[in-house]
Amino acid sequence: MKKSYGIATILVTAVMVLGILGIAGAPNTTQAQTSGPIIIKVGTPTALSGPAGPWGQIGVAPIQAWVELFNKEGFKVGNKTYNFQVINVDDKNTPEGGAAAAKKLIYEDKVKFIISHWTWNFPSVSAVANQAKVIYLCRTGNEAVPGGVYDPKKQPYTVFANPSHEQFISDIFAIAEAFPNYKRIGINDSTLGKGIGWDYVDRELDKAKIRYHHEWYAPGTQDFTPYITRYNEAGCDIIYGAGDVMAAMLITKQRWEMGFKTWRTGTAGTLLDPMMYIGVSGLEASQGFIAQYFANWDFKKTKVNPKYIKECQEAMAMISKQQGKPYLYTGWIGWGPHHLQILAQAMQRAGTVDNPDAIMKAIRGGTFDTAIGKFTFSGAKTYGSPIVFGTPGCLSQIKGDKEVYLSEHPLTSLP
Amino acid sequence: MPPAGIWIDGLIQSCIYMTMAFGMVLVFSILGILNWAHGQFYMFGAIIVYYTVTAGGIPFPISILISGLLMAVLGISVKKLVIDRVKGDLYVGVVTISLIFFFEGAASILFGMQDRGLSMLLPGVMNLGSFSISYQKVAVLIFTLVVMVAMYIVLNRTKVGRAIRATAQQPDAASLYGVSVERLSLTVMGIGCGLAAMAGSIMAPVYSINPFMGRIPMIMALLAIVIGGIGSLTGAIVGGIILGFLNSVIAYYLSYFSEVVLFLLVIFILLVRPQGLFGASLK
Repeated sequence: MKKSYGIATILVTAVMVLGILGIAGAPNTTQAQTSGPIIIKVGTPTALSGPAGPWGQIGVAPIQAWVELFNKEGFKVGNKTYNFQVINVDDKNTPEGGAAAAKKLIYEDKVKFIISHWTWNFPSVSAVANQAKVIYLCRTGNEAVPGGVYDPKKQPYTVFANPSHEQFISDIFAIAEAFPNYKRIGINDSTLGKGIGWDYVDRELDKAKIRYHHEWYAPGTQDFTPYITRYNEAGCDIIYGAGDVMAAMLITKQRWEMGFKTWRTGTAGTLLDPMMYIGVSGLEASQGFIAQYFANWDFKKTKVNPKYIKECQEAMAMISKQQGKPYLYTGWIGWGPHHLQILAQAMQRAGTVDNPDAIMKAIRGGTFDTAIGKFTFSGAKTYGSPIVFGTPGCLSQIKGDKEVYLSEHPLTSLP
Repeated sequence: MPPAGIWIDGLIQSCIYMTMAFGMVLVFSILGILNWAHGQFYMFGAIIVYYTVTAGGIPFPISILISGLLMAVLGISVKKLVIDRVKGDLYVGVVTISLIFFFEGAASILFGMQDRGLSMLLPGVMNLGSFSISYQKVAVLIFTLVVMVAMYIVLNRTKVGRAIRATAQQPDAASLYGVSVERLSLTVMGIGCGLAAMAGSIMAPVYSINPFMGRIPMIMALLAIVIGGIGSLTGAIVGGIILGFLNSVIAYYLSYFSEVVLFLLVIFILLVRPQGLFGASLK
């Protein structure tokens, strides 16, 4: 009895000593927070694997580099300085992957916001984010246009920081302006994109009296001979692909092989690297290939703060140095920096980083100055809430083995 | 009437489906199994040619042969190390389906998921009045002709070919005559996978190359052998020809509905003639 009492006393004493030592040795988190910027975690569910993986992977490094530059100054809310930390999780471009990624980011990684979401699983990510009152920045699409699943009352924390179908409209207007003597624009998309979003685009194109012809192809199609034949019969001389990039590259190649060498082709998306398109389609066939362009230093109709241009260029230079070759992709500018700048400015106006309702109030209808220009959130009539941003509507084309500016049709406001 | 370009396109499609289907039926006739990962050998064939041509500087025709040989070896390895160790058609099916995802995953890691191409191999087009055909597509036609002639010679004029035909008809009797069925099954697996790889190689400059490119050719090959008759080599060729032309013409008229119509056609054929056009009666 005495022996066991002694052992228990020793054990209790040892635990108390260890506990005191542990408390003494632990970092003083309060002191650490007050002595440096406070970290705000932001999550990005994006395709990092599967067929869409290259488009998610290519944006990760430059956004992280940009955040590093941004965090040198950070942003102030009240008298506190904040920095961003961006966490990427693979959403596999599937609804289940999107929901899983959003849950991991929100409940495990404790992110305050979700940004840069462009993949095909808006409903699942939006549901998770809104339930947790996490502000979610994404793009419009079939789900968002009138008749889609988006409901501002049920999804009050969703922000369409990038237009999708509206961007197609901008692109097509920019193409028509670049080639005023065009005969007809052939538009294509996979059946995955078919829906009310395109009905909306068609109405706008009809209003503007744009001449166009639509084709839809099954996902995975590699042989576009029948579609190109029909484009020819419809009198098209410019082909704009709103589906996957592979389709755009194959149409570019196959139309050349079918003898339609004077046609221009392009894609609704930014170029990963001109050499990829040249590699698939051929050097001659790729000349003049059109794509979206977010190189803000080349914008002619949209003014961008020179400081933001410099940050983007520096981030790209960092990545070029890391990978040992020029980093050319500009699409990331229209997402990561753009979204983070919206959030930083919204938090500053709301005077809080913790109140999503106050931050959303600052976003709705607000004007923000970001890496792709100064735009006002609009779309109250179309979407039920003024939460749709504009876009520079800038296009590039392949010339030689480089990507150069083509034309621009900024989208500034929506009804 | 569809324009000439659509018929030429149909002919090109037929060539590939024919070659793929022929390889599948060859394997089925000896092994009695459908290799669901057949499309992934097509994919690997394209990837191997990509590297041998761009990194190795090896001429395209030799690269096609290399891809065929390498994939023949892989096919034999899969047969010996995986398929032979699984009992039951259902489980063999499960295993070969699993191989689809394994091979695609491995290719994604090794090759990357970005689309690549071999656009420069046979540049230029032949103008034939109202339509043009690229030299690369002419090469597909020549390749298919060479393969079909070669297979005819092998099956009808060589000892191996006779053994294959005998085993396909009467495996027990063939083994009594000294044919090593096990060794023959490995040979046939190698030939089947090699044919798929060479089909992928010849098409690599026509389409783009990515780890998932084998799925649709596999499905089309399956449709071709169902139309032609499972187990019939002639049926595989005829099925491939019919399917290629149908696919092109229907896509011209019905766009993305072409796949729906093709599958409806397969169902119709199975209802009317379950053994396919050239298959033995099921009675």
